[in-house]
Amino acid sequence: MEWVDDWGVSLATFLPAVGAIVLLFLPSAQDRIIKAVGTLFAGLALIAGLLVMARFDYGATGEIQLEVNATWIEQISANYHIGVDGISLPLLILSLLVTFLCMIYLWWHVPEPGKPKAFLALVLVLETGMNGSFVALDLILFFVFWEAVLVPMYFMIGIWGGPRREYAAVKFFLYTLFGSIFTLLGFLALWIKTGTFDMIELRELGAAGIGSDLFQNLVFLGLFLGLAIKVPMWPFHTWLPDAHTEAPTVGSVLLAAILLKMGTYGFVRIALPILPDAAVTYAPIIGILAVIAIIYGALCCFAQSDLKRLIAFSSVGHMGFVMLGIATLTEAGINGAVFGMVAHGLITGMLFFLAGSIHERYHTREISELGGLLAQIPRFGSVFTYCAIASLGLPGLAGFWGEMLALLGSYNPASPLDPVLFRVLMVGGGIGTVLTAGYLLWTVQRVNLGRVPDKFADGKGIHDVQALEWYAWAPLLVLILAAGLFPKLVLGLTSEAVSTIMGALGG
Amino acid sequence: MNLLLFAQEHSEEVIESSKQGFFSDFMWLVPLLPVLSFFVILFFGKKLKDRGHSVGIAALSIGLLLSLVGFVELAAGNAAVEKSWTWFELGEHFHIEFGMNYDFLTGIMFLVVCTVSLLVHIYSTGYMHDDKRYTIFYAFLSLFTGSMLAMVLANNMMMLFVGWELVGVCSYFLIGHYWEEKENSSAAIKAFITNRVGDTGFLFGIFGLFVLAGTFNINELNHLAEEGTIGGTSLTIVALLLFCGVVSKSAQFPLYVWLPDAMAGPTPVSALIHAATMVVAGVYMTARMFILFEHAGSALDVVAIVAAITMVLAAILALIQDDIKRVLAYSTISQLAYMMAALGVGAYTAGVFHLFTHAFFKALLFLGAGSLIHAVHSNNMSDMGGLKDYMPHTFRTFMIGSLGLAGIFPLAGFFSKDEIIGGALRSASESHQAAAWIVLIAAIVTAFLTALYMTRACVMTFWGPFEGEHEPHESPGSMVTPLWVLAAATITVGFLGFPIIGPFQDWITVPGHEHHGFETLYNIVLPAGATLVALAAIGLGLQLFLFKKWRYDILASPFAWTYRLVENKYYLDDFYLKGIVRPVQYKLSAATYWSNQKILDGAVNGVAAGVLAVARPTYAVIDQQVIDFAVNGAAGLTGYSGGLLRYIQSGNVQRYAAFLFAAVAGFVALFALTS
Amino acid sequence: MNPVDWHALAPEVVLTIAACAVLLIDLFVPDEGKWIAMPLSAAGIFGTLAAVVSLIGTGNHVTLAGSFEVDGFALLFKGLFCLIGLIVLAISFHYFRSGRYYQGEYYFLLLTALLGGVVMASSRDLVTVFIAIELISVPGFVMTALRKRDAKSNEAALKFFLFGVLSSAVMLYGMSIIYGITGQTLLSKINSELAASPSEPIVVLSVFFVVVGFAFKISAVPFHFWAPDTYEGAPSPVAAFLSTASKVGGFVGLLVLMFIAFPSVADTWRPIFAVLATLTMSVGNLIALRQQHIIRLLAYSGIAQSGYVLVAFALIDPAAPGMNAQALQSALIYLAIYAVMDLGAFAAAVAFGRQGGSYFISDYSGLWLRSPVLATLLAGFLVSLAGVPPMAGFWAKLFVFKATIDAQVYWLAATMGLNAVIAAWYYLAVVKRMFFDAPTSEEPLEIPYLMRAAMGVAALALLAAFIYPPLITALAERSII
Repeated sequence: MEWVDDWGVSLATFLPAVGAIVLLFLPSAQDRIIKAVGTLFAGLALIAGLLVMARFDYGATGEIQLEVNATWIEQISANYHIGVDGISLPLLILSLLVTFLCMIYLWWHVPEPGKPKAFLALVLVLETGMNGSFVALDLILFFVFWEAVLVPMYFMIGIWGGPRREYAAVKFFLYTLFGSIFTLLGFLALWIKTGTFDMIELRELGAAGIGSDLFQNLVFLGLFLGLAIKVPMWPFHTWLPDAHTEAPTVGSVLLAAILLKMGTYGFVRIALPILPDAAVTYAPIIGILAVIAIIYGALCCFAQSDLKRLIAFSSVGHMGFVMLGIATLTEAGINGAVFGMVAHGLITGMLFFLAGSIHERYHTREISELGGLLAQIPRFGSVFTYCAIASLGLPGLAGFWGEMLALLGSYNPASPLDPVLFRVLMVGGGIGTVLTAGYLLWTVQRVNLGRVPDKFADGKGIHDVQALEWYAWAPLLVLILAAGLFPKLVLGLTSEAVSTIMGALGG
Repeated sequence: MNLLLFAQEHSEEVIESSKQGFFSDFMWLVPLLPVLSFFVILFFGKKLKDRGHSVGIAALSIGLLLSLVGFVELAAGNAAVEKSWTWFELGEHFHIEFGMNYDFLTGIMFLVVCTVSLLVHIYSTGYMHDDKRYTIFYAFLSLFTGSMLAMVLANNMMMLFVGWELVGVCSYFLIGHYWEEKENSSAAIKAFITNRVGDTGFLFGIFGLFVLAGTFNINELNHLAEEGTIGGTSLTIVALLLFCGVVSKSAQFPLYVWLPDAMAGPTPVSALIHAATMVVAGVYMTARMFILFEHAGSALDVVAIVAAITMVLAAILALIQDDIKRVLAYSTISQLAYMMAALGVGAYTAGVFHLFTHAFFKALLFLGAGSLIHAVHSNNMSDMGGLKDYMPHTFRTFMIGSLGLAGIFPLAGFFSKDEIIGGALRSASESHQAAAWIVLIAAIVTAFLTALYMTRACVMTFWGPFEGEHEPHESPGSMVTPLWVLAAATITVGFLGFPIIGPFQDWITVPGHEHHGFETLYNIVLPAGATLVALAAIGLGLQLFLFKKWRYDILASPFAWTYRLVENKYYLDDFYLKGIVRPVQYKLSAATYWSNQKILDGAVNGVAAGVLAVARPTYAVIDQQVIDFAVNGAAGLTGYSGGLLRYIQSGNVQRYAAFLFAAVAGFVALFALTS
Repeated sequence: MNPVDWHALAPEVVLTIAACAVLLIDLFVPDEGKWIAMPLSAAGIFGTLAAVVSLIGTGNHVTLAGSFEVDGFALLFKGLFCLIGLIVLAISFHYFRSGRYYQGEYYFLLLTALLGGVVMASSRDLVTVFIAIELISVPGFVMTALRKRDAKSNEAALKFFLFGVLSSAVMLYGMSIIYGITGQTLLSKINSELAASPSEPIVVLSVFFVVVGFAFKISAVPFHFWAPDTYEGAPSPVAAFLSTASKVGGFVGLLVLMFIAFPSVADTWRPIFAVLATLTMSVGNLIALRQQHIIRLLAYSGIAQSGYVLVAFALIDPAAPGMNAQALQSALIYLAIYAVMDLGAFAAAVAFGRQGGSYFISDYSGLWLRSPVLATLLAGFLVSLAGVPPMAGFWAKLFVFKATIDAQVYWLAATMGLNAVIAAWYYLAVVKRMFFDAPTSEEPLEIPYLMRAAMGVAALALLAAFIYPPLITALAERSII
């Protein structure tokens, strides 16, 4: 199995793209074949990912493993440098798994206006972009993958989306593109100072300190703009609700579960270790924005009438916790952040699946029109409640550890940071958890409990969870519980890797 | 860091030194079995012909047996056992254990939880028999019991918190069991959110402990507090943060408001969760961390005062309820306050003992109330009356429970309540602390009120004419048996805490609390006094409610406002609901969303609009203008050649040329400037 | 006087012969046979390409007293011109055959203009540069007017002609002054002369006139007026040719002049290019934002695109040869990629126009449902023009961007960045039409295989260059003048 060391990560990254190309040559009429091929390639990629897991040395999660470093563009010393460590591995696997499950879900339903061939091809292209940005260890390579997700997601929203899909798609595209310009500025500035795009080299140089404080702060600002828009952090989040609301189910799932993580991952992998001093300077700002996002997002959730839009805003809040954890610059905080990314990927991904399936059954997402799911479709209702409870951070389920560690981190932030400020932020976060519980339980009450509205009383076309839905969801549901009971599943991986970054941060 | 090493040694050493009992290898089974039974019932319950209850009952019977064994072993002299494994660790300073700690306190809790839960399981087979969600009901009963047991077995705060939250969510599900009705699910949400508020403080307290001491391990924390490694104001603050959790979970002022509403759940649930077990979690936690609290400055005084306030306020409210379950709910609040007050004045043993006894007679009362409700299909005592003839078993057991609660010798309540008042008096006379005096007075007043409202309840339900519609009937054996078991317990368990000779004080004790020998004041005068107070209250109650003497129309009196105040529950709920919840839920959220759409998003769209606004004139001038005069020229074209001439003669060329040279000139000027 | 190096001249010779051949044969074949001119010219271009290939790796050839040089730079562009020529032929075939225009003449003129480009790549002397640029332009005037019964076409041609003449005049004026000052026509010599003599205002002015002259050819703002109208009026294959071959030709001339003849006085003219670049990018994009007509949109987008290339000139620094190399490379890469993607877009527009008969973007609604292939290809080219993965346009922008940052002209970099976002906006607007909107007509489009091939090749080239940029960067590296 040695070949995996050289090829595993690349396969996991590019098999989907290959699949997309294969799809192009299939007759568009052959639905089943197309779906089969799409699932096949997503599955192959997942298998490659599992092989990577198998070859991964869990004794050295802090090291970059299964590394490949080949010359790519000599002229600008950009290399094809990929590999995984304890931070990227869980995210890579998450991306592979969720995309695969989306493929299964698509067997059940391809959104209007059909055209499974194009849709699946886009999903696969998107997957390559997402996987790539988690394994790239070269800034240019990272940037390429980072940008590569724009086009497929743009088409997904624009063609298969809801009524305001054109607005949402363009907004998503331009807003993210705008941000990424500044990220690129930052990358190139780093290159000029150091002559390398290699994240690992830069991390070592970063520990020593790259350039003047001013330089660091400016570069960090550049990175920050791009990453913060992707996360999205308050106040750059306004593209998210529109994108989520209009996107087709699978689009929302991938957007929430994976795409948003690219931003937070960028902070952990690039911004912090390469620009430690600037990170310390910006940490309070990031922390404050994060807590604003937590509370602001929660409050917006109370005001939503569309279930999907509500979940979208809840993402703003949850990513706020992730960013708060990062802002503390502590072991606990950053581990919590990575855990939070995975947890949010599982839980919110699941919630978007559910929102989509509700729309399939009731042809509406208006909370006021829904009700009594638990009475009409008990299994579905139970799954919904389960995910809501997980999302509000119940201990024993995945949602808890990320938030807990983020808050713990901010109780006692890294030494250069002001503990008073961060304890205030912690209290803000605490208020956020209360509000989160509030809107989620309220939503459950309105959607899930109570009596079935008369117009759905006949229950025509309203069936309980379908077999294909079970296949697509069961893994997520199990993982939500597993990650809650055995946080080591993720933290065991991240702990050392984070320590490495903390090393770069200087303690 | 060294603390962690210490942790290892610590637990090792305990395990070495003790002679390992049989139980120590199986204690993990006690919480695990109910959890397993939860999954079994959840996934296969519907397929079983008894709809799942036997799974839970079996799990709990085994659990009860095990805990009995374990307790006997402890009583026989086995040392406490602590076992721990690493749950996960981050870096080298951050280490969370997965550990168990079994000592007398845990043992007592195990007995209480398993016994009551088992009885409730059995009782519910009758009470819930026709319920359409019978199976899921049992599933959550099991999950609750498992979480509760896990919580009391936990050897570190993080695990304790996990259990703490899990019992909370089970309570949420069970309160909302009849979720077709909005008010029921609202009650469930109220309970969860109120607890979430306190729990957030609790969690921060746990953080504080970790930051102070570098560990979550409970024994270590107590140890460190005892030897003074941690202390000072920071510890006081942390202790108070922990107390936040108690205030919500154990329904203390000002967060007790959720408990009365929680009565929306099925009555067995009220008995198990909202009387006997979950709500005492706060008391348990305080007892668990008692040494730490003792060394946390004035923390315990705060506890004592809050408790004193709570017990009186709740007892007063219990006095005017019509819903029998609410009477018992407020009574529970005030009794929990009793326990907290005991701990507050340092009467550790008494507090835990009252927890122990209260579990039995309050469960008994709730199950009795359930039996009544089962019979008359109403919670309101005004729909009952005269039931003593219809429901002899329920009547007798309920009376035993009531007398126990009222603290009449020789029932359980008598002993525990007596201990608490004694403790308060002792601490008052020794330490002369205001808190202790306040507690003492509050305790006596509450004792009086308790006897009074229980008398009222009994009279209204069992005496007088029956007010309901159809003929009530005694409940089936499955319900009556548990009542008698609990009644027996209510009669007997008190003697475990018999002054001086009772074994309880040897089981439940903390360093620095020596036992007291015979003292006339504490062992003769005080009990007699307390009993007199209770009897007086009962007498008054009979006068007022049975013989309807001494009527006094308070609404006509100048004290009407006091009645209004009480009637409206001191306006506390209104304050929370109208003052905080609704504004946030509707107004504040709407305002926030508005700012999101209009300001934040508006800015984004504004930028786009701005670009277009710049583009429009640019386009109009540079693009369209040129086209215009070009087209004007073209319009004149007839034939090719002729047009050509015409075109050349037309003004366009000059215009172009003019423009060209204008541009050139402009650039020359720029040139001159730059070079 | 050393003998002429015929091998170095081979491409030009072959192309000339081909051109004449086309012209002659056209005289003798009957109308319905005239289409033969197209394959014939294709053969000619392939021949030229062969000649170019034969020169690869034979080292630098300098001949005609140094006025003509064949080096990596020259070969790169000769190759590029041949490629452009082939694609334009592919686009033109059906258009002119169905249009029954003067096919023979057209192909002859096309080859001649191409010859100009091929010569330009090797010109290292004021005279050859001027001849080359005229050789590119003049046939353009006629080609634009080929649809002689169409008023718009004539007007466009006339406008183009007038501007061309004016610009040539200005350019020639500047050149003559330079010759007057330095007494040299060889670019390298001119540079050394200028370096020796302190820069007098007159030198600066003369350089400036030359720049303005070229600014017209490459339609840089504010010398761009002719372009949109001309493109719109001209037969669209011709428009494609003008917006690529002519533009690239102009840039090649500008490159050789600025990098060989005038670097020593760069300090004086560098700011001008910064201003030109900024104006060209911004104005081009802003106006493109509001275009309804695909050809006009492409015209303005093309203007904006040339703005990015002009940035490279604003980075030239005689003191830092490394910087110059990087700037030049980025320009080469940009031009090469631009030519391909722009041709692709034009090809798609032609393909749509010849059946739908419309050039209005509103008619592209739902194209995806009528012809997935065409829609996807056009989307690909537009995405590439927008500079977003997965297309090579991304690298074109990135390299210029990087060079700019490297030269630490941050404000220019920022301008580029923001322009990139605006540009993406209107490119996406077209994509939106094609994919998100409901079709206005159901009838499916069928695209001639020749055009499919042309667009397919272009798209694949862009995709390949995206995945493995060295394909193009390596060439650019060997093409330092």
